[in-house]
Amino acid sequence: MNTLIHHLKANRLVQFAVAILLFWLLAALIGPALVPFTYTAIDSEHSLSPPRTAGHLLGTDALGRDILSRIIHGSRSIFAVALFSSLLSTVVGVLLGFCAGYFSKAVDTLFLAAMDIIMAIPTLVLAMVVLGVLGGSTILSLTLIVSVAYVPATARVARSVLLGEKEKEYVKAARIRGESHLYIMFVEILPNTTAPIIVEATARFAYSIMTVASLGFLGVGLQPPNPDWGMMVIENKEIIAQAPWAVLYPALAIASLVIAISIISDFASKVLIHER
Amino acid sequence: MKRLWTFVARELLSLVLTIVVMSALIFMLVELMPGDVAQIILGQSATEEAVAALRQSRGLDKPAVQRYFVWMSGLLRGDLGESIYMKGVSVNSLLWRRVAHSLALAFTAFLLFVPLSIFFGVVAAVKEGKTADSIISFIGLATMALPEFVSGVLLIVLFSVTLKWLPIVSIIPIGQTLWTNLRILILPALSITFVMFGYVSRMQRSSMIGVLHSGYIKSASLKGLPRMYIIRRHALRNALLPTITVIGMNMGWLFGGLVVVESLFGFPGMGSLLLTAVKTRDIPLIEVCVLLITVIYTLSTRLTNILYGVLNPLIRHQGGQQ
Amino acid sequence: MKKILVLMIGLILFLHPLTSGGAKEAEHGKKAIRIAENVPGLITPGVWDGQAVALNSSIYEYLVEVDAQDNSLRPVLATDWSTDDGTVWTFHLREGVRFHDGSPFDAWDVKYTLERTQDPAVGHLKRADFAVIQRVDVVDDHTVVVTLKERRPTFVLQMTDYNMAILSRHYDYENMGERKPMGTGPFILSQMVPKENALLVRNPDYWDPQLPKVDRLEIYFISDLDAKVAMLEGGQVDVVPLISPVAAQRLASNPQISVIAAYQEQRFISMAVDRKPFDDNRVRLAFKYTMDPVILARNLAQMELGDGFYYSETPILNTLPEFYDLGLRGRDIGKAKALLAEAGYPSGVSVDLYYASDHPYGKELSQTIAELAAPAGFAINLKGFTRDVYLSQYWLKVGFSITGWGGRIDPAILLGLAFHSRGPWNEAHLVDPVIDSLIDRIAGEADEGTRLLYYAELQRRFHDEGALINIQVPKLVALHRRVRGYSHPLTMIVQYKYTDID
Repeated sequence: MNTLIHHLKANRLVQFAVAILLFWLLAALIGPALVPFTYTAIDSEHSLSPPRTAGHLLGTDALGRDILSRIIHGSRSIFAVALFSSLLSTVVGVLLGFCAGYFSKAVDTLFLAAMDIIMAIPTLVLAMVVLGVLGGSTILSLTLIVSVAYVPATARVARSVLLGEKEKEYVKAARIRGESHLYIMFVEILPNTTAPIIVEATARFAYSIMTVASLGFLGVGLQPPNPDWGMMVIENKEIIAQAPWAVLYPALAIASLVIAISIISDFASKVLIHER
Repeated sequence: MKRLWTFVARELLSLVLTIVVMSALIFMLVELMPGDVAQIILGQSATEEAVAALRQSRGLDKPAVQRYFVWMSGLLRGDLGESIYMKGVSVNSLLWRRVAHSLALAFTAFLLFVPLSIFFGVVAAVKEGKTADSIISFIGLATMALPEFVSGVLLIVLFSVTLKWLPIVSIIPIGQTLWTNLRILILPALSITFVMFGYVSRMQRSSMIGVLHSGYIKSASLKGLPRMYIIRRHALRNALLPTITVIGMNMGWLFGGLVVVESLFGFPGMGSLLLTAVKTRDIPLIEVCVLLITVIYTLSTRLTNILYGVLNPLIRHQGGQQ
Repeated sequence: MKKILVLMIGLILFLHPLTSGGAKEAEHGKKAIRIAENVPGLITPGVWDGQAVALNSSIYEYLVEVDAQDNSLRPVLATDWSTDDGTVWTFHLREGVRFHDGSPFDAWDVKYTLERTQDPAVGHLKRADFAVIQRVDVVDDHTVVVTLKERRPTFVLQMTDYNMAILSRHYDYENMGERKPMGTGPFILSQMVPKENALLVRNPDYWDPQLPKVDRLEIYFISDLDAKVAMLEGGQVDVVPLISPVAAQRLASNPQISVIAAYQEQRFISMAVDRKPFDDNRVRLAFKYTMDPVILARNLAQMELGDGFYYSETPILNTLPEFYDLGLRGRDIGKAKALLAEAGYPSGVSVDLYYASDHPYGKELSQTIAELAAPAGFAINLKGFTRDVYLSQYWLKVGFSITGWGGRIDPAILLGLAFHSRGPWNEAHLVDPVIDSLIDRIAGEADEGTRLLYYAELQRRFHDEGALINIQVPKLVALHRRVRGYSHPLTMIVQYKYTDID
């Protein structure tokens, strides 16, 4: 932890990324209480208003809804889905990956085959087909499907780090002591493998934001009037000539969040893994 | 050599297995769809007898397992079934043109991003820690963070709305082919390039740095060989290996990206066909498209694995996993 | 490098069908109109979903057509028609007309078309309307007599319905209808790439030698509303028959393009009278009191009330003579709250609203009414689905919905379909003996003055106790200035035979 803070102090770019992430986190937590409008509030007097007119700091869309308020509200759903799906896929992935790597060769082979099969469908295609076929996506269904799609990758990382640790002395010692398998896996090995798992989880976090945004764009994400960022971009693409702000600000929101998380993920990987 | 063949055989076997299991999974998945297909086709005003007649004529009244085997045996004979929405229109007549278009698009993107990202990745590695490196790394990060539809919209604003150089909508005029309209490939391919450039250039940079710091390159420099010669002949060759893997593994992103980009530009490819099929719930079309994407994707990752195994004997001994 | 090679070989193999596909250079010196249409679902007449109208309207023909200017009837395949008192109808048919496959058109084809509506295997959308037919008699090759079970003084207007194209009795529409549509129309299908485009060429044997005025119709099927407009702006097409009001606003500044409101479509907000909370008329009234027509007009159509956009609480289009103006109710939140409290919902009520999210105005309309109704205590949860899912899964089953309705030249057609207790599309589940008897009397009444009186009475009933809000939205068509004589009446059937291009 100390080295982490030490490195953080030295790196301006990462400080900036952390600031952006904190900003969006705050926006998601308390933002909706602070913004001047609800995300559905219609101001028909001021539709397509440019930024900074009539209290609309980032302008309005074709229905006269406040872009800033919609973006801030939208940060909630995207954080919820991205955070929970990366957490869920990490937990499930670690469980599966550890079990596969720890037990017999047969379990491992079966596991690898199963993961290969899930990974054989590109994430976005899988999510699009499932959500499109089921219809009426919710935060829960989005979270679940994105998690399922990401479990194999996480599980493979977890498995390979476990394979690296399995033959080490402390594991052998624990076995000789007669500890249970679960104890060895999660009390002995897990604390020594947190670094790569954390790095993998942060990378998943960035990916899932992109996936959720793309699903919104394809029209199979959250349904209107939810202010989904991807959906805002595509809904307002039609008015890009009249009101570029209605497209550019949500796009900027997506980009800033993904860039910030990617920088942090890069930094974490550098500090936690390579310079250990 | 024998080991290599075992390795290839195992990869191929797992490919076939994957495809068989996948086909069953995809079939099951689409079966889960709520609502009755016949009812969806005929709409709300349809009478019960009409729905029943349609169910019978499409074989929808048979059990799912039986329908799966009918479907599979059709696939093996090259009969992909009929679109639900367009009675009498075979999936074959819809699909293959679109597949060819998508492959042309993917190939164009490939031609753009592979040399570009390898070149800039190497430059960044050689100039490690300098301004050029920071700029390239940041651009890589930024383009990687923009989903295809965002970069696509930006490209449209720049090249179509402002400069008016390229068409906003990538359609092929009636009576013409893609060959006479190659212009329509440019913007969609660029949007894909944006995302892929980030991944590949970053991977190229880090593997190149790894190689440049390795002992034998250092000893080559000590021998007094020219720096450019070392980079080209020794370092690059070794540093390309991980990059190939990254390209292969990111084929999944590429296909996801195709769906997004084709929808954004109205490009007549497989991805936009799949999206239309999903939205109109055209089940035979969904099943075939997903299966085909899976096959192409699996094939490309397996090929990467094999290629990697051929180039790097170490992997074969470790069972294909690092 | 190997990988690239492998990819290249694969690509060349796959691209093979591309180059061998019937590539024809655009013929020069021929007049062509290029149209960007919606992607159609089913297109076979009888089950046609009304998308991609340019395609079917140009290939098929009807007994009669509607004049886009004054809504009067004009002869097409029927040269004239007459009836006794509305029970027995005689149609005289045009001679010398041929189908695109060369077979001659005669009275037996009309008989086939009418009887096909009752064929259960077809699943015909007009089955209920044409169940009134008792017998179709072929008098001679060009005279057909239709005998009805009841008096229907406006029966001929039913023949303008877009699913009533006249079909050849020799052609296999069940198997060919989706792939190779075939009729007597001014244009012949030359080639079609499903879900992508269709090329129609001039019918050289068309019965009116003056028509059509152009040689080719090139129809592109594009799902994205915005992409279609972009194609028009970029000069890739000449006509976009369905654009959004926002796009219309943008195109207003483009001197090359004109936007016309071809006719008005309707959006019915329907409150089922057998479900809570709308089973109580006070709740329906409370909801009506929350609506603000001016805000709806601005949000949906970026226009003022009146010019092409209208709000009423009766199903009759305000442009038709049958419309009876009861004035606007006016927004009154206080009154709405009071009515809700009176009905037993003092702290408001939550209700799910179902609608088609990919229909023009769908998202805007649902979100605006939810917002307008909120202050009175209506918590409206929006349930949007794609159009086909909405229609097949939710429409007619749910208690609160928005549905798009096309124009019908005779309001009686609509009333029988959607508001009679026996109507097949009775969205609000109305079982009102007063409305039923008025609809029956309208359908059977020959005297126009008396009919109008019944219409007025009916509309008062809808205003006071009805379960409907009717939003009339303009059907906006964008045209390049080169296009002349675009003719699109409210039957939805577009008449490209009169259209020319410079």
